Amino acid sequence: MITFERVTKRYADGTVAVDALDLEVPAGKTMVLVGPSGCGKTTSLRMINRLVEPTEGRILVDGRDALRQDPVKLRRGIGYVIQQTGLFPHRTIEDNVATVPLLLGARRAAARGRARELLELVGLDPALGRRYPRQLSGGQQQRVGVARALAADPPVLLMDEPFSAVDPVVRASLQDELIRLQTELRKTVVLVTHDVEEAIKVGDQVALYRPHGTLAQVGEPEDLLGAPADDYVRDFVGFDRGIRRLSFFGTGDLDLDTSPVLAGDATVADAVSTGAPWVLVTADGGRPTGWVPRHRLDAAGSATALRDLAADHCEHTFTAGTDSLRAALDAAVLSPAGQAVAVDGAGKTAGVLGYEQIRAAIAARAADGARGKDR
Amino acid sequence: MSFFSWAWGWISNGANWRGPGDIPQQILAHLEYSGLALLIAVVVAVPLGVALGHSGRGSAVVTNLANAARAIPTLGLLILLTVLAGFSPLAWLLPLVVLGIPPVLVNAYEGVAGVDPDVKDAARGAGMTTRQQILRVEVPCAMPLILTGLRTSAVFVVATATIAAYVGLGGLGRFIVDGLASSQYGPVAGGALLVVGLAIAVLILFSVLSRVLVPAGLRGSERSE
Ligand SMILES: Nc1ncnc2c1ncn2[C@@H]1O[C@H](COP(=O)(O)OP(=O)(O)OP(=O)(O)O)[C@@H](O)[C@H]1O
Ligand SMILES: [Mg+2]
Repeated sequence: MITFERVTKRYADGTVAVDALDLEVPAGKTMVLVGPSGCGKTTSLRMINRLVEPTEGRILVDGRDALRQDPVKLRRGIGYVIQQTGLFPHRTIEDNVATVPLLLGARRAAARGRARELLELVGLDPALGRRYPRQLSGGQQQRVGVARALAADPPVLLMDEPFSAVDPVVRASLQDELIRLQTELRKTVVLVTHDVEEAIKVGDQVALYRPHGTLAQVGEPEDLLGAPADDYVRDFVGFDRGIRRLSFFGTGDLDLDTSPVLAGDATVADAVSTGAPWVLVTADGGRPTGWVPRHRLDAAGSATALRDLAADHCEHTFTAGTDSLRAALDAAVLSPAGQAVAVDGAGKTAGVLGYEQIRAAIAARAADGARGKDR
Repeated sequence: MSFFSWAWGWISNGANWRGPGDIPQQILAHLEYSGLALLIAVVVAVPLGVALGHSGRGSAVVTNLANAARAIPTLGLLILLTVLAGFSPLAWLLPLVVLGIPPVLVNAYEGVAGVDPDVKDAARGAGMTTRQQILRVEVPCAMPLILTGLRTSAVFVVATATIAAYVGLGGLGRFIVDGLASSQYGPVAGGALLVVGLAIAVLILFSVLSRVLVPAGLRGSERSE
């Protein structure tokens, strides 16, 4: 656990970067610091491992006052990841990762073995360990940065905009990776970003800063979306926070409609008898193949098998119980029929969901504050 | 006769390669003086440049010190010291050291001060002591520039070590000074050519040295950037 107690940082030129900050980072959780540029996020982060010294106040790391510890020892017990990776260009990837274990007196062979394990943990081929940083892509370098920070198995991990220098696709996969690692490792993570979307995705808790180093709101991502403290938070979180909040609503117990779902060997007559304006045709024992509109049914012979009709692709589906309502709504918006196709874990059609059912589900969940993050 | 035929006539004369004060002896003496001066310059300037470069301050100190040192005329200093201190080693050594310091100092400073700030930050953040930050990260990263400074100094010093002959010492300057005094062009041109040859040998030595001393991870980037 990391605790800020009325921490203030005033730089030599008089800039107050952090102003009487009180903040608690629970052990084993990810706390995201987010806010506009220059609001004091980096300064807050760097005070934890004393790369910046607080002017006033106390910072406790696992109950111990950071200011009373030898900064070198303190830092060896805290993983540190920065935006442009800061990998040592003259050392191999393996030796970069082995940095802290070697500082702590590990034998070189053991430290390198551990480095290879870590490369695997962060999703890299251990064979890359023999290369130099410049021989890796930006995304790979960023993973090495994370591996290096984890090498000595520190309980605390500090990350300053770790994913902002890579393209959006790589960023998304690195974020997923972090979430996966966190379920495995349960570190106390403090991550700085200026991207609310990222904060909401990876944070267990989010601390939203105002300019000049004070906090506007601290809470679970869902609280920021669902119950913003004031207009500043509302504006910062963005105009589509209503949609984003749906990410936290599960799809486990929806009322799925199975009546317009028919197998490919069913006939046009069967389809017409459902009375539905669109029917969903499936194949291979349930996999959705596409939507057929009523007018196309009317134009075909009543004994025709549905699989012989042209079907409109159902774009994407959502997995009931695993995906969020946001995914369900997205699937409905993209569907030619205006209905989302729900599948089970095996990809078989579980039913379809129209706007009206989605609206009802949102209302019900907003009312009882149901959880179920799409992770 | 041209410079080269004067020089070559003298160098190829076997008699000059034998006996007291022959070419091999003077080359050795020349290298000895140069090596000593360079060693002192390195011992003074590398730690100073690295320390100032690490602190990130002292850019003005380095620039002023280097410019001041460059402004001192080597021969003038030699004469002044001879007048003041007589024919002591100080008279020839100090001017060479003063000549050798600026390139080493400036490059060591620039090399260390110019290490990627994120790399420095990561070294600190990983829990390296100041000493470890400097020796394990900053100096290796600055090695290409440090070697460039050393090479420049070495060439300056080797080319200028002829001045030792003015205060009665050996080295390749001996041939030049004595040749001038006795109006013999052979040893003057030959001695000068040998000095050039020695300077080129120094350049080659440093290109070999940089292959050994520049960490592999930095080598490719040097070329691509
Ligand atoms: N070394 C320093 N000396 C003086 N002022 C500084 C120093 N470092 C940061 N500041 C100032 O302190 C304030 C907070 O800076 P900080 O780097 O913590 O912001 P940030 O929230 O991380 O911003 P960004 O999102 O742009 O990285 C800014 O006004 C900045 O200009
Ligand atoms: Mg910052």
